[in-house]
Amino acid sequence: MSSINEKFSPIRKGLLEFLVLKVVSADKVYVADILKELSGTEFATQEGTLYPLLSKMRREELVDYEWKESEAGPPRKYYELTAKGREQLREISEYWQKISGTVKSLGQKPGQ
Amino acid sequence: MNKVIIINLNGNAYQLEEGGFEALRAYLDTAARRLEGNPDRDEIIGDIEQAIADKFRTLMGANKTVVATREVEGVIAEMGPVEDASAPSGTPRADGPAAAPGAQDGPKAGPAGASPKRLYKISDGAMVAGVCNGLAAYFNIDVTIFRVLFAISAFTYGAGVLLYILLMIILPEASTSAEKAAARGAPFTAQEFIRRAREGYYEGMRRFGDRHARREWKRRFKQEMRGWRQNFHREMHQNAQQWAQDCRQHWALHPYPVFGWWIAIPVLRLLSLLVALLCVFSLISLLATGSVFGILLPAGLPVWAGLIILIVVFQIIALPLKVMRHALYYGGRYEPMYAGWVHFWNTIAWLGFILFLVWFANRHSLQVHDALRNLPHEVHRAVDSFREWWARQ
Repeated sequence: MSSINEKFSPIRKGLLEFLVLKVVSADKVYVADILKELSGTEFATQEGTLYPLLSKMRREELVDYEWKESEAGPPRKYYELTAKGREQLREISEYWQKISGTVKSLGQKPGQ
Repeated sequence: MNKVIIINLNGNAYQLEEGGFEALRAYLDTAARRLEGNPDRDEIIGDIEQAIADKFRTLMGANKTVVATREVEGVIAEMGPVEDASAPSGTPRADGPAAAPGAQDGPKAGPAGASPKRLYKISDGAMVAGVCNGLAAYFNIDVTIFRVLFAISAFTYGAGVLLYILLMIILPEASTSAEKAAARGAPFTAQEFIRRAREGYYEGMRRFGDRHARREWKRRFKQEMRGWRQNFHREMHQNAQQWAQDCRQHWALHPYPVFGWWIAIPVLRLLSLLVALLCVFSLISLLATGSVFGILLPAGLPVWAGLIILIVVFQIIALPLKVMRHALYYGGRYEPMYAGWVHFWNTIAWLGFILFLVWFANRHSLQVHDALRNLPHEVHRAVDSFREWWARQ
């Protein structure tokens, strides 16, 4: 199992941006929300990865953030998708459908 | 017993055991090194420090004020290693968990490096509506320079004032912190310049290393300069001839009526020039320090009102000088040559009057105040409907 885990490490890494887009598309979230959302899944990640990724996505104008006061402690950055981010999410989702269709159909006998 | 070190994490003070401090410093140093060349490096480090501070805060209590070494190590493990997401995805990154820490070093920010800058009005510390503030933030130039430029451009038939009013209506206000950040954008610092240069942004500049390109450029520059010089000489010559001819005609038609004109005209001219210079100086001093020759603006009087008062005062001072000069030149006749100046003062006075009326109405009438507040919105709507109409044609 651990060797599969290792084999898929680069793929998981590559998919992380797609998943972050999905999580952010649902609601305005801050980093801890994103981490919690992903923590139960195979894509569990950490701040050390997420902050640089979000900053890159902001530079590419896929997400934007807004400072909001929190009950405890300093104000937090709440992220949301931009129009460009939404468009990107739609495109990636379509592409993902195609890929998973391909994975399913390959190697099956035509008659089946 | 362990030594305790107090640290500042993004503005939060924490006391760490010495071992924890060393571990945290190593973690943050590595993070900074891996983000080398990332345009958002400082922001990401700030975010990470803030996240660590948040985690430390949950560990603290009334009876616990020091973060132990193993707790720091736990937090660092929770944070995970900092990886630069800007690394181009095309490079071989199938490095697995045992990647060399140095593998991701080096500048790798993509061409989409700087966040886009946008032109906004910024009302924090604004004198009128924040247009100059926004421009200064956009071009990263001291705001006083823009204010002086606008004040001086008010002399060009009031074009500066009109431009300011237009910008005031068109530009959106930067109200959220994100908009304020976008107004300032990624500061175009020397570091940024070097980074872009290193990444080959300025391909054109590099071509200067090419001897042929350099020679070609030099040749063209010289040619252009020569052409410009010739034009300039020719025009000067023509103007001088024209002027001499006009003068001769004028002398023939209007013999000078006033005795001593030949000394009076230069003196008057000099005085007018001095007054104009004084006016510009006091405008600059008013904008830069808020006072003119040590006289402070009365409390409650906005700076722009001070500007208009200054212009009017200097106009009043200059008026008799001008009238006398006109009288000497033309014996009181109104000449089209001076029509430009008359128009200019008329424009200033007119704009000043209109501005005063608008300001007064805005101050004392609720309806006018509301109408003015809705004006930008109405203008946008009008432009939109016009655009729709245009698209239908």
